[in-house]
Amino acid sequence: MIRKVVILSMLLLILILFMLTIEDININTSARDYLFENGFRETGSNNLVTAIYLDYRLYDSIYEAGILLVTVSGIIFMSKKDDDVL
Amino acid sequence: MKTSEILKSMCKVLFPFVSMFGLYVIINGHISPGGGFQGGAILATAILITYIIELDIVENLTLLIRIEKYAFLTIILIGGISLFTRGEFFTNFIPIGSSIVYKRIFLIALNFFIGIKVATGLITIISTFIEEGE
Repeated sequence: MIRKVVILSMLLLILILFMLTIEDININTSARDYLFENGFRETGSNNLVTAIYLDYRLYDSIYEAGILLVTVSGIIFMSKKDDDVL
Repeated sequence: MKTSEILKSMCKVLFPFVSMFGLYVIINGHISPGGGFQGGAILATAILITYIIELDIVENLTLLIRIEKYAFLTIILIGGISLFTRGEFFTNFIPIGSSIVYKRIFLIALNFFIGIKVATGLITIISTFIEEGE
């Protein structure tokens, strides 16, 4: 019971601190404004998320696909028996 | 593992819709929310449904790994074409002044290959885990 009360009060404290800090931050919106105005014209994509991960930041996306390949090969390597290795 | 008849029948009804929805999310990644990664995960879920229907897992893991490797190489090659047309790596290979309709070819092709790659990778992980659990 005491543990639950402590955890709840800590979560409430975190929530209040987050709300206080968000009010203070002066957000710079220049990148968002640039994408909103030029994203469709430069990449031809209505979905701005696709415009970012397939055109502006394709380097990041390719390595994200590479991480999945490494993960799959690692899982197969750990699950195979000794006699048959790919 | 035994599965009930109701679950099997519902999965038989659900399977074509889930796989069609996965393909839709992949192909329309540049218009509506979604894209290659999300659509590939939905396609892998459709393969997981076939495990509930038939209790049969995908045996030929070597073919799946080979497809995934070649899809990854194709993604890198399509990204590298822009070195010759635009002069820099990993961006759209259609010239920057051309129409929006032509620029979408690049987006659709890359979404498609990323979708195939993610789907085969997740199917391999699922099949390996099911095989280990038995």
